[in-house]
Amino acid sequence: MDRHFSRRTGAAGLRGSTLLALAAATGLGAAAPAMAQTPQRGGTLIAAADTEPRNLNPAMVASNGVFYVSSKVIEPLAEMDYDEGLRPVLATGWEGSEDGLSITFTLREGVRWHDGEPFTSADVAFSAMEVWKPLQNLGRSIFANLEAVDTPDDLTAVFRFSEPTPVQLIENALPAVSAVLPRHLYEGTEIAENPLNAAPLGTGPFVFAEHRPGEFYRLTRNDDYWAEGLPYLDAIVQRVLPDAGAKAAALETGDIHLTAFSAVPLTDMARLDAIDGVSVIPGGYEGITYHITVEINHRREELANPLVRQALRHAIDTDFLVDVVFLGFATPSTGPVPSSAADFYTDDVPTYDFDPARAESLLDEAGYPRGADGTRFSLRLRPAPWFAQTRDTGDYVRQALQEVGIAVELVTADPGGHIRAVYTEHDFDLAIGSPVWRNDPAISTTILFRGGQPAGVPFANQYGYDDPEMNALIDAAATELDRDARVALYHDFQRKVAEDLPILNLVDFTFITVARDELQNVANNPRWATSSWADTWIAQ
Amino acid sequence: MTGLMRATGVVGAAILLALLALALAADQIAPGDPLRMVGRPLLAPFADARFPLGTDQLGRDIWAGLVHGARVSLTVGAVAAAAAICVGILVGTLAGFLGGLADDVLMRVTEAVQTIPTFLLALALVSVLGASAVNVVIAIALSSWPPTARLVRAEVLRVRTLDYVDAARVAGRAPLAIAFLEVLPGALQPVVALIGITVGEAILVESALAFLGLSDPNLQSWGAMIANGRATLRVAPWLVILPGIAIALAVLSVSLTGDSLAARLGARRRA
Amino acid sequence: MPWRFLGRRLQQAVPVLLIVAVGVFFLLEIAEGDAVDAYLAATGAGDAGLAAQLREQYGLTDTLATRFLTYATRLATLDLGHSVAFDRPVLEVIATRLPVTLMLMGSAILVSGALGVILGGLAGWRRGGPADLTITVTALILNAMPGFWLGLLAIILFAVKLRWLPLGGIGSIGADLSGLAAVLDTVRHLLLPVGTLALTYLALYVRLMRAAMIEAADSGWTLAARARGLPERGIVLRHMARPALLPVVTMLGLQAGAMLGGSVVIETVFAIPGLGRLSFEAVTQRDLPLLAGILLAGTLVVVVVNILIDLLYRRLDPRVGDGVRATERRP
Repeated sequence: MDRHFSRRTGAAGLRGSTLLALAAATGLGAAAPAMAQTPQRGGTLIAAADTEPRNLNPAMVASNGVFYVSSKVIEPLAEMDYDEGLRPVLATGWEGSEDGLSITFTLREGVRWHDGEPFTSADVAFSAMEVWKPLQNLGRSIFANLEAVDTPDDLTAVFRFSEPTPVQLIENALPAVSAVLPRHLYEGTEIAENPLNAAPLGTGPFVFAEHRPGEFYRLTRNDDYWAEGLPYLDAIVQRVLPDAGAKAAALETGDIHLTAFSAVPLTDMARLDAIDGVSVIPGGYEGITYHITVEINHRREELANPLVRQALRHAIDTDFLVDVVFLGFATPSTGPVPSSAADFYTDDVPTYDFDPARAESLLDEAGYPRGADGTRFSLRLRPAPWFAQTRDTGDYVRQALQEVGIAVELVTADPGGHIRAVYTEHDFDLAIGSPVWRNDPAISTTILFRGGQPAGVPFANQYGYDDPEMNALIDAAATELDRDARVALYHDFQRKVAEDLPILNLVDFTFITVARDELQNVANNPRWATSSWADTWIAQ
Repeated sequence: MTGLMRATGVVGAAILLALLALALAADQIAPGDPLRMVGRPLLAPFADARFPLGTDQLGRDIWAGLVHGARVSLTVGAVAAAAAICVGILVGTLAGFLGGLADDVLMRVTEAVQTIPTFLLALALVSVLGASAVNVVIAIALSSWPPTARLVRAEVLRVRTLDYVDAARVAGRAPLAIAFLEVLPGALQPVVALIGITVGEAILVESALAFLGLSDPNLQSWGAMIANGRATLRVAPWLVILPGIAIALAVLSVSLTGDSLAARLGARRRA
Repeated sequence: MPWRFLGRRLQQAVPVLLIVAVGVFFLLEIAEGDAVDAYLAATGAGDAGLAAQLREQYGLTDTLATRFLTYATRLATLDLGHSVAFDRPVLEVIATRLPVTLMLMGSAILVSGALGVILGGLAGWRRGGPADLTITVTALILNAMPGFWLGLLAIILFAVKLRWLPLGGIGSIGADLSGLAAVLDTVRHLLLPVGTLALTYLALYVRLMRAAMIEAADSGWTLAARARGLPERGIVLRHMARPALLPVVTMLGLQAGAMLGGSVVIETVFAIPGLGRLSFEAVTQRDLPLLAGILLAGTLVVVVVNILIDLLYRRLDPRVGDGVRATERRP
């Protein structure tokens, strides 16, 4: 295929559909070629596996690694969509009450579990009350005020809340938090210990067949799927491959059709795109944008000083990060909401140019002049170990801060050690983090700024930053029912973050898919990798 | 000693000296932090005179990395091996000289450590202690002392019955003084043969740990360079090939030099 | 008597296993972060309540002494416990991975032993000649190369450029093979990893075999045989090679542990779901029961291999008394 894909198309402030159109225009995207447009039945899609989570139950663990496998098997109430915003899946419609105290879901008719039992509102009520609310990593906060789920009939589920809850928040959360479990197989068992967590059973287009640890997952076609004629594929295999290089090689040799989540090195993208039969597809991840942040420990006297934090921001060249670390597949960020989230984003916030001289004068002003050895003070920086980009960003930030006279020592640990050090023991000065944007600031974003988090809560404000004004803003938005007023509050929130700089948002990035050209309907929704793949097909 | 042996010994020593010179003069040859991103990313070798061996995906100078990496790899290898040999000597001497229960306990521990796959132990230790140069040295030292300990113990058992040791005993010297001042020196010679191998192994273990991501992030080492280049193997194979050659040269030169040293000493001893 | 000898060897292994078990517990005790931290890192979110709930569930809230006691009594009753990271019994997790590693390690030991005997024998027989020089130097160079590096280059050459062999894994996925086809498929997958592992350990055996051949060549037996005008072939095989095998066999056993360690990186490079890679996962997941199980299993494998080697040794050299073996791990 052509290799003239432009850089910085990443998430670049385009809405998904525009992005896809652009991808098509530049010759990117397997969906684009003017090949057979009538989907063909059959074939096995072989994809590179992501992680191998021990618990594949998406109702308990709402994470992309889990979704990548289980979203084909277990379905949510609704899924993201480029055209409609939200596409009905197990729910066909929903409506919130005036007072914000209830939301009524109408469920799809004629849906059966993989074991043949009918799907009903009882399954939804059970999942919500017994799993999402008490057990799920995200649901525990989103559904904290959920009091009960009434089931007046088999196809109606009424969620009742003790506090006014914005429908907008619940809608935005649905794709990630609303995976429905079969009540008849979970009720009365210890949910966390249920063997189905390792071999999920759902209503989705594919049936879980087999997991050989260290080798592969195999999913086979659900012949009894509720959507007529779907899915197209006979089976999906997700194969464990040793490393990014091997994944790229396997695409080249045709051993696999697909790598998701930027599983091949960004540096390999241009080369792969130039190979006949392989295409690089940006897009299909707008619903799971990641931020790269510098997390700051405000307990350090120097870092509690706003001037110092401004200086840090001025010292870091986000364009360099975008160009070198992300090879253009990222966007410099202005704050905690990515520019691709048009509903909530505002660019009307204070910004900080890359300006080392300004950084130096701010540091001087703050009372930290360069010492005899040229050093103002030293910091320990812990880059999160899970992405190559977080580690590389750590290397760059170390260099950038040394440039303005701040000595930086990198400290690395494996994921468990990192989490403990940063979020429980606060044993860090700076850390490179990668929080996820999940379509609504209230899901996993404001928790990074709200004070009063007990130690031990990961991916939350463990920074020693506790600002009454900020807290009030976050709390007000959380219960604001009016969409416009709520958005306005989140605009204020973004301004407040940019003024205070409790943490530094550096760049936003999403992932890249690389696929063989015979694969069709790739990246056709904003959470594609973690969606059902019911309409994905292989051209023969 | 055959001519072949002598020739390889000379070659080994020459390579080792060259690497040592590079390591010592790293700051003069390639000034500055080798981790700095200084050039255009992924420059090929010989494409730009400023970066004779090219750059990696973040624009770091490969030549600077190799030169400074020599310092890290050789230092870690040498210090870890020295520490391992010291621990081994200590344990071996005590076990051999004290005998009885002490010997039993020490030898069981030695066996235990030797039975656990060396690399598994080092891996577990570094993951747990955290990836820093000091911890890597500790991990290698703690996992690779048993061969020395067993060898020293065997030698001590041989030497302790010799006349001059008896003489010291009769003269009423303290047991530990006898062990370390009289017995040990006589038992040390075969340990020399282990030095080359232990250092070589240490360098390899360090590189394998780095390859798995367990290297000091503030230092550039050869293993870390390979780990870093792994992802770009298809676009920039030199990022993997060059540091690999450096490791192989270092290990080869150390073991060749060690062998010929041991052979020389052995020949003298037999003579 | 072999049985008495076997029993004693197993008895000797007990204190070793005990020390390993205690060591593992304290190793993970000093690690920063526990199984719950590793779990939260993998799931990407969580709150204090969830963390406390999980710690309770995993028994991490007990005191150090209680936890050690639980761990010790479990092990004493040969109950390896439940793997936190895999949410399955440790024994089951290990049982699925061990055969793969045994296959990899066993093949590598055999290949490098056999190659070492043949090449070392050749080098020793033609001492000082061009064959000797080539073999000795090549083996030394291979020995100096990091295994993972050699593996990476082998993948690029044989799997990507030439496309003769698969990239990794231990079998073709989806291909429903049986009988000979399945065996061939496994062989194709194991060729590169076994080759890599075997080649990096080759030098040791070449060197031992060569030295022993030379020693045997100068021995009275060989000289006498030559004087009697026996055929050269017979002299080399009977009087030189056979006694020269002994140190090689000993070393094979002593190197079993090192090979198991070496397989960690090889398994990583070739995506082989074996014990080596599992151990790395156990450490990063802070999975104490699993790590303990793996180290014990690894130790047991090494002990068993050594017992087998000793038995083999006794067959080759009946002079050897019970379990007495003077040769060291490395020269």
